[in-house]
Amino acid sequence: MKDSTPGKFVFNQHLDARFLDELFDGDAVYAQIVFEDFLRDLPDYWKDVDTAYLNQDLRNLRTSIHKCKTLFGYVGFSDIQQLCQEFENSCSETSYSGLEAGYRVLVQKKEEARNIIETEYDRLKLFNAADS
Amino acid sequence: MKITCIIVEDIQIAADFLKKFCDKSGLIEVRGHFLNVEDALAYLAQDQVDLLFLDIEMPGATGFELLDRLTYSPRIILTTSKTEYAFDAFQYHVSDYLKKPFTYNRFLEALQKIARPVPTDLPIVHTATTTSPQVPSPDMEFLFIKAEDKLVKLVKNDIFFIESMRDYVKFVTAGKNYMTYSTLKNLEEKLNGGIFLKVHRSFIVNINKIDDIRGNTIYLQGNQIPIGKGHKDELVKRLNIL
Repeated sequence: MKDSTPGKFVFNQHLDARFLDELFDGDAVYAQIVFEDFLRDLPDYWKDVDTAYLNQDLRNLRTSIHKCKTLFGYVGFSDIQQLCQEFENSCSETSYSGLEAGYRVLVQKKEEARNIIETEYDRLKLFNAADS
Repeated sequence: MKITCIIVEDIQIAADFLKKFCDKSGLIEVRGHFLNVEDALAYLAQDQVDLLFLDIEMPGATGFELLDRLTYSPRIILTTSKTEYAFDAFQYHVSDYLKKPFTYNRFLEALQKIARPVPTDLPIVHTATTTSPQVPSPDMEFLFIKAEDKLVKLVKNDIFFIESMRDYVKFVTAGKNYMTYSTLKNLEEKLNGGIFLKVHRSFIVNINKIDDIRGNTIYLQGNQIPIGKGHKDELVKRLNIL
C-alpha cells in the first residue's frame, strides 16, 4: 500500500475519516475501488429493503437492512450504520406500522450517502489520476 | 507453509477486504469465497481447509448452522457486524470475532490468536490420582485418540478441555480440535485425577489451563466452561487456593 503521508487524500467531513485512514492505510486507489463497489452494490441491496418494506416482510426487511448496514460501514458512514442497527432491532421488536418513521429517515440518509460517495468517488478518481 | 482458508461471506466488499488482507499478510492462502453456507459446505466436503472466515447472518442458513454441520474442526474466525453473537461465538470455541468493518491491524490480531503457540511453561499440578489400578498409565504425559482416520498423539498438557457432544467427544487444544467416538464417562475414568477434572456433565477441563473462575463459570484460554452442580466442591479442593 502507498505511504499515507505525502499527498494524502482527505475524506469528506461527513465520513469517519479517522477510521477510513486506518482502513485504507493511505491506499487511495483501493479506496476508489471500494467506493465504486459501494455505488454498484447499494441500489441492489436497497431494492431488497424496499421490496421487503412494501411487502411488510419484516424478516427480510431486517436481513436486507443488515446488509446495507455493513456496506455503509466500509465507506465510513458510522452514523448511518447506527441508524440501520436501530432499525434492524425495531424490525424484531415493533409492528410494521411502527417502522414508517425510521424507514423514511433511512431512505433520506441513504440518498444523502449516495450523493456524498458519488462526489468522493469522483474526487478519488481525480486524486489518483494526478498521483499516477 | 501457508494456512489455507475459505471466506464465507455474502457481502462482496467485505469478502474483497478479507481477501486483500489475507494476501497482504503473506500467511494465508484463500482457497475460495462462498456467498452462502450450502456452497461452503459442498466445498468443505471435498477440501478441508485450516481456517474459516465465517459471516453469521447470510441468506438461507447462518454461520452457526454451518458450524453445526461441519464434520471436522478447523479454526474459525467469525466476521459479523453485530456484537450480540459474542456469547454464541464462545460456545463454538471460535478463535476470534471480528466486527465488520475491521482494519488490517485488527485482522492481524485475529491471526495471532490462531497462530498462538501452546504455552509450555505452565506448571503441571501433581495430585494424588484417584483412578483404579486397571486404568491404563495415568502418569503418561500423552495419550492417543482415534481421529481423522488415524491415531493422533496428544500431549495431555496441550489439551484445554474435553467436551461431550452426544456420541462423540471433542478435544480442544490451542492449535486444533479433534472429534473422537467416545463418551465423557469413559474418558472420565481414564483421565480424572492428575491435571484433568470433570467440572460439568459435558466438560472435563485441564486445570493447568484455567485462567480464572467467576461464579459458576471457568474462563479458560478464551473459552467459558460452566461448572455443574455437584462439581464445585471437588474443583475448589483441586485448585490449590491459598
